Amino acid sequence: MKQTRCLKPYLYLLPSVSLALLFVFYPLVKNVIYSLCTVNRLGEIQFFSGFDNYRALFGKRDFFISLKNTVVLVLINVPVTVLITLLLGKISSIPHRHSAFSQTLLSIPMMISMAAIALIFKVFLNPSVGFVNAVFGIHYGGYEKKDTAMSAVLLLTVWMGIGFNYLLFLDAFRSIPGNILESARLDGAGCVRIFLAMEIPLIRPVAIYIICTNTLLALMTSGPIMIITRGGPSRATTTLVYLMYTSGYGSGNYSMAACISLVIWLISIVFSAGILHFDREKVQYT
Amino acid sequence: MILMIELAAACIILFPLFWAVCTAMKEPWEIVQNPGRIFPDRLLNLSNYAYVISHVPFLRYFLNSVLCSVFVCLVRLFLSALSAFTFVFYSFRARKALYFLILSTLMIPPDVLVIINYKTIASLSLTDTYLGICSVSFLGATQMFMLHQSFSQAPSSLRDASLMDGCSDMRFLFSILMPQCRGISLTLLMQIFLSQWNAYLWPLLVTNKTQMRTLQIGITMLQNAESTNYEQILSGVIMALIAPVILSLLLRRLLYHVRNASVPAE
Repeated sequence: MKQTRCLKPYLYLLPSVSLALLFVFYPLVKNVIYSLCTVNRLGEIQFFSGFDNYRALFGKRDFFISLKNTVVLVLINVPVTVLITLLLGKISSIPHRHSAFSQTLLSIPMMISMAAIALIFKVFLNPSVGFVNAVFGIHYGGYEKKDTAMSAVLLLTVWMGIGFNYLLFLDAFRSIPGNILESARLDGAGCVRIFLAMEIPLIRPVAIYIICTNTLLALMTSGPIMIITRGGPSRATTTLVYLMYTSGYGSGNYSMAACISLVIWLISIVFSAGILHFDREKVQYT
Repeated sequence: MILMIELAAACIILFPLFWAVCTAMKEPWEIVQNPGRIFPDRLLNLSNYAYVISHVPFLRYFLNSVLCSVFVCLVRLFLSALSAFTFVFYSFRARKALYFLILSTLMIPPDVLVIINYKTIASLSLTDTYLGICSVSFLGATQMFMLHQSFSQAPSSLRDASLMDGCSDMRFLFSILMPQCRGISLTLLMQIFLSQWNAYLWPLLVTNKTQMRTLQIGITMLQNAESTNYEQILSGVIMALIAPVILSLLLRRLLYHVRNASVPAE
């Protein structure tokens, strides 16, 4: 492969690079500028105002409520999803005659769009006409009571994560070489011991990948909030991305929206760096 | 035994879907009178579906979704194949820098950029156009990366032979290289299609006119219309689900690769 002097490669890359600049890097830089300036409702920059916007943001109660909600979402959603899909993946990885059929069934949640399942859950968990309350005879408030709204959102987000992560775990368990497990069995290790001490460490790269992507997805939760609760009741389900959307697109406070988006970005970097750092400290088995 | 556990789990997980299919066939009073019943009075009662199709431009939504998804599929696959090809088969000065530039877009979640992107699209007066809905999804760093991996495994004699025969770059890419990587290309197409079909936040921002809404926006707008009831909303939802579910079940073998290939779609 010789170093070419011609313009061809640049020409080929022009569309991709200009799209990256226009729709990713330009908005990122613009966000930084917006967050440091006073911006009017039309999005025109008035004057440089330093960290005033951040100070205003950190002084708002709404911001801390939505920060707390987002962190709660991440801290509950990720472990629950990982645990459920890990167990389902493990169970399904044991081959039997109808494996293909049951795997298809369990991966169906992956094909369902967020808007569709959000609407279904909205009616399903509805306190007056929903199925859950009627059958179990309980008074679960679903999305309409302040203290249950978050749990109902969590039910939905966990459901949405099942299909894809299940397939990833299933694949990971399947690709463990059988001879390793066989020799452990000959050495007298029990099922549980093999699962905890061998299989889990062996699938760790996949697990870390799943934890990372799910953390980022949970941090960005906004669709279900927009469709079902609109942040309510009384801000119980306002997340950071939803707050960014309402303050920027809804009420035209662009510098506030820019500050929030940079805070979200920062949090996502901290979370993923934290997970990767935690991962590096452990011994590598593979 | 294992099958039993799997089926039990599937029953619990898929129950809301099953319930929605049944409820969409109920008459408006049934769910209010007796919310605990699963099955409708009359099976195959399609009146709610008929209502939704006749009262909202459902077919238009469907068409919009199909058009946008196909458009994004073609452009994104073309652009990522072209960039991957350039990075693999050309050596030029800014190669590493540009490769890194495109890959680093993966580090920035698109959701935090929507507001500025909306202003960009609005200032180009592209709101309520297909180009406006699709243009932010044209760049696919994941797909570029995956294609880069498989193009690098193609034997270099392939490139040499085609250069010798005077084959143009485009011809080489589309009639020699892509057919070689058919599996991964189809998988990527499927992945792009699903993610575009299910996109919500961006199409919501850039469309105001009813005729330009995609299916996902259309079904959520059903709940704002005053005359619609729960059963009708759910029948709209079921209709929106059918296309991707059938597609995925038909192309199940491709989905098998998706999981090796991707960052999950939102």
